[in-house]
Amino acid sequence: MLIPAMILGGIAVIAAVGLGVAARVFYVEEDPRIKGILDLLPGANCGGCGMAGCSACAAAIVEGKAEVNACVVGQTEVARDIAAFMGMEMQDNEPQVACPDCQGGARATRKYEYGGFDDCRAAMLFYHGPLMCDHGCLGLGTCVRACQFGAITMGDAGLPIFDPARCVGCGACVRACPKGIISIISETTKILHWNRYSECLAPCRQKCPAQVNVPKYIEHIKNGEFELALLTVKENNPLPLSTGRVCPEPCSLACRRQIEDEPVAINYLKRFAADYEMNSGKRLHVPVAPETGKKVTVVGGGPAGLSAAYYLRRLGHSVTLFEQMPDLGGMLRYGIPEYRLPKAILDWDIQGILDLGVKVRTGVSLGRDFTLDFLRAEGADAIFLAVGAWRDRELGLAEIKPDGVISGIKFLELFQEDPLTRVKGHAIVIGGGNTAIDAARTSLRAGAESVTIVYRRSRDEMPANPVEIVAAEEEGIQFRFLCAPNRFITEGDNLAGLEVLGMKLGEPDSDGRRRPFPVKGTEEVIPCELLVEAVGQMPDLDFLEKDGMPTLPTTRWNTIDAKEETLQTDVPYIFTGGDCFTGPGLMVEAISAGRFVARSIHYYMTEGEIPPIEQRQTGLVPESIFDSLVGVLPRPKVHEPVVSLEDRLGTFKEVEGTIDEEDARYEARRCLNCGTYCYDQELEAERAEDAESIAG
Amino acid sequence: MNFRQTLTHGLWRDLPPFRMVLGLCPTLAVTATAENGLGMGIAVTFVLIFSNMFISLLRKVIPDKVRIASYIVVIATLVVIVELAMKAFFFPLSQQLGIYIPLIVVNCIILGRAEAFASRNPVHLSMADGLSVGLGFSISLTLVGSIREILGVGTWFGMAVFPDSFEPFGFMVQAPGAFLCLGLLLGLMNAWSRRRGEFFIQT
Amino acid sequence: MDLFLLVIGSIFVNNILLAQYLGNCPFCGVSKKLGPAIGMGVAVIFVSTLASIFTWIVYHYLLEPQGLEYLKTLVFILVIAALVQFVEIFIKKQSKGLYDSLGIFLPLITTNCAVMGIALLNIKHGFDFVEMIVFSASSAAGFALAILLFASVRERLFISSVPVAMRGTAIALVTAGVMSLAFMGFAGMTN
Repeated sequence: MLIPAMILGGIAVIAAVGLGVAARVFYVEEDPRIKGILDLLPGANCGGCGMAGCSACAAAIVEGKAEVNACVVGQTEVARDIAAFMGMEMQDNEPQVACPDCQGGARATRKYEYGGFDDCRAAMLFYHGPLMCDHGCLGLGTCVRACQFGAITMGDAGLPIFDPARCVGCGACVRACPKGIISIISETTKILHWNRYSECLAPCRQKCPAQVNVPKYIEHIKNGEFELALLTVKENNPLPLSTGRVCPEPCSLACRRQIEDEPVAINYLKRFAADYEMNSGKRLHVPVAPETGKKVTVVGGGPAGLSAAYYLRRLGHSVTLFEQMPDLGGMLRYGIPEYRLPKAILDWDIQGILDLGVKVRTGVSLGRDFTLDFLRAEGADAIFLAVGAWRDRELGLAEIKPDGVISGIKFLELFQEDPLTRVKGHAIVIGGGNTAIDAARTSLRAGAESVTIVYRRSRDEMPANPVEIVAAEEEGIQFRFLCAPNRFITEGDNLAGLEVLGMKLGEPDSDGRRRPFPVKGTEEVIPCELLVEAVGQMPDLDFLEKDGMPTLPTTRWNTIDAKEETLQTDVPYIFTGGDCFTGPGLMVEAISAGRFVARSIHYYMTEGEIPPIEQRQTGLVPESIFDSLVGVLPRPKVHEPVVSLEDRLGTFKEVEGTIDEEDARYEARRCLNCGTYCYDQELEAERAEDAESIAG
Repeated sequence: MNFRQTLTHGLWRDLPPFRMVLGLCPTLAVTATAENGLGMGIAVTFVLIFSNMFISLLRKVIPDKVRIASYIVVIATLVVIVELAMKAFFFPLSQQLGIYIPLIVVNCIILGRAEAFASRNPVHLSMADGLSVGLGFSISLTLVGSIREILGVGTWFGMAVFPDSFEPFGFMVQAPGAFLCLGLLLGLMNAWSRRRGEFFIQT
Repeated sequence: MDLFLLVIGSIFVNNILLAQYLGNCPFCGVSKKLGPAIGMGVAVIFVSTLASIFTWIVYHYLLEPQGLEYLKTLVFILVIAALVQFVEIFIKKQSKGLYDSLGIFLPLITTNCAVMGIALLNIKHGFDFVEMIVFSASSAAGFALAILLFASVRERLFISSVPVAMRGTAIALVTAGVMSLAFMGFAGMTN
């Protein structure tokens, strides 16, 4: 009895002491989490997990190469414990899910028919795959087989379908895909991403300043997934309700459908998706990354400022927004009249941004109430100047303006401050931009007997949205083209009329615009009691002269100077963008600038360096320019419901309505769902047949 | 898990070695006949129940650092007991099973249950778990053994099931048959689970 | 000549994995990629030779004289576990490169029935010291050979379309069966 016990005990003691000493003598530093997980793992070292023992498994889990449920011995109990252990640290990470970058797949043109091994990697060995398209999914399902979690299935269209609920972001599919079209993406990555020439981009997506993934959200609308559609829009555009109403749709200019037909009514669709959320009354959840502890101050609550605040907040930074006006929205609120963008709708859009946790201070003006040095002293790691372009340009017709002359933005502001403002008599608006049309249509609604727009070039040169011009014409606004103001006619202090001079267009200048020249002897007086000068705006940069401001260089166009590729000014922590950088532009450009600045500020604050965007797409990708389409038959575009003329005048009721669900899904089906190369020829032919059979 | 679940989970949900792909060596090695399979299964069940019992009893005493070593000692002791008992009472069977009896020590199922279950659950549950997993293992082993014996020798527990004209396919009792039989059974089980809509990951 | 036959016999005819079914858990687990499989194979050769030497000495000079043969299971597992852990700690400290390529496979071997099995078979067959070393090394080499071949097969299996239900371990086992069938062809060699 004694001897066996002694021998066993002896061996055990020798082993224990030897190991104890060895563990101390040969101690090696490693990630403490590996030890923690190793303690949770069974320690059987059986290799069932496919890793070399429990410590290898623990290391793999810590590195994210293996799943918490990797251990086959431990089963659910152990997996739960490890998840809890990792969870404390995982909470700091955003969830990442796989998503495909290709929407074309099998419908891209083929180089040859592939009949070999059912595997994408095998297919890639023959002339780089059977598809003409470099980005196209081969659809042989290598990723489906690579996924250990059953999160990928092969859809009917020959494209993998990812189930985000099952995806754990392990990246097995990414490694398996030879085309590199699957990415493991977190919300942060999406926000920081900008189009590149090397990507598969539909023309509309290239043309949109905010780079909204248009085909994707239209596809969602087509499938009736309106919430997903809106979330897609919100990845690049935090103000979908407002853009859905006022955006002039640069995207539709690139729509490939217009080669054979009218372009897709992209903005109607966006508006439909955005209204769908608002009408449901329930806000969609927008994920926000964990707090980073960095503070950003945004000066200016217009679209650029709001957009930057939205994306910076979503990246996990703490954002404070300063606005000089009593309410947020900038030009959207004070420059766009109620009948185009009802303020209740703008409020819903803005509230969606504020709900993410953006702090707001309104009614404080830069230069008057605070300085940039003060913001810096208050602890801002970065400052975004988005003060817009609020100063009206003036014609300079008279030193002292007679009563009855007002500038465009001031005029529109009046109606925001008091919606019941009235005007009387004849009104003249000078200018050809959106502000001019807005002022004209507003004065008509506010009681003017007649309204005349005076513009020195012809209708074709008008920078205003064509839709707006048409609407103004419908409402009975008169246009005097090729006509320049010459001098005010006054009666005492009051305005009595405007003397105008006929113009004629010369040769196109370096900008491609034809410069107008006055024609002698064509003077004429148009009587009026109200004259709105809407001849353009520029940033008001007077605050830069005040004390407590760092020296910021400006350009000769009176805009703030900054580096084009980062929007960073000469003062590293100050960024700028939107109208005060570019001069007056589109709302969607300001939104784009907001996200771009958010990217720059994010990198500046977290890494110090702002990496340049490789192969940043600015012009259209050459491969995506087509001049003919096969199989596309014209199908009429839907039209928005419009309030009748009688109902328009005298009220500020919104003129355009939102299309209904049926129209939205019809319009969505008009989309060709382009990629760089592919559009759905067969599907399009099928639809044409359907349409004919219905018609017949 | 409540007591009932604990008692039944090893019979289908976590059925070894199909669901827990562990303990493959004995499953392959000793299942040339149904009898051997059953014998091995019972031996493993015995070790499982008692190792779970002792480890559960000692779970608060054993320091975390040396727990695996302690479990191995407990398991090895039990295995020695089984080894000696089998030699004493079932000598032919113990000769048949040969070195696979002492190799129960390194059967991952036992260590796995000790770590994953017994070390964190009270005694009665741990024993129920041992019984459940052990029974599941015995059933699997007997099943594999039966298939191999019937096809490979034409008998079941030594009783002839086929007429003499049946030519048994001998390779079933040899190594290739073991791998093939287990692989196909695993595939069948997967197919069945998928039909029932059960979702589990198998590496 | 006997030793040569022993080598051939233990590598091919009585292949520890395909004919004796030992070491199946890591066989299925680590054979998905060729790289780890090589590491595993080499680690097994190293450890099982080392373990066999220690267990053989302990058995013949400690247990046998005292008549404690029945304790061999218990003692062997203790010796192997301690040995493997010691080697792991040692390599981890001394050579990072070696540890990364080989060391991480060491703990896997503690509960590898192949190592324990070889140690027990040494005793069962009553080998002397030289035979013991030859047998251990060549048996382990047999394991390495099998896992290497198998990993190569599995790399190709990954890109073939296997019925859904058979994916993973199931098809691996069937493949192992076919391979085992091939190894049976060596059976005539030593007789």
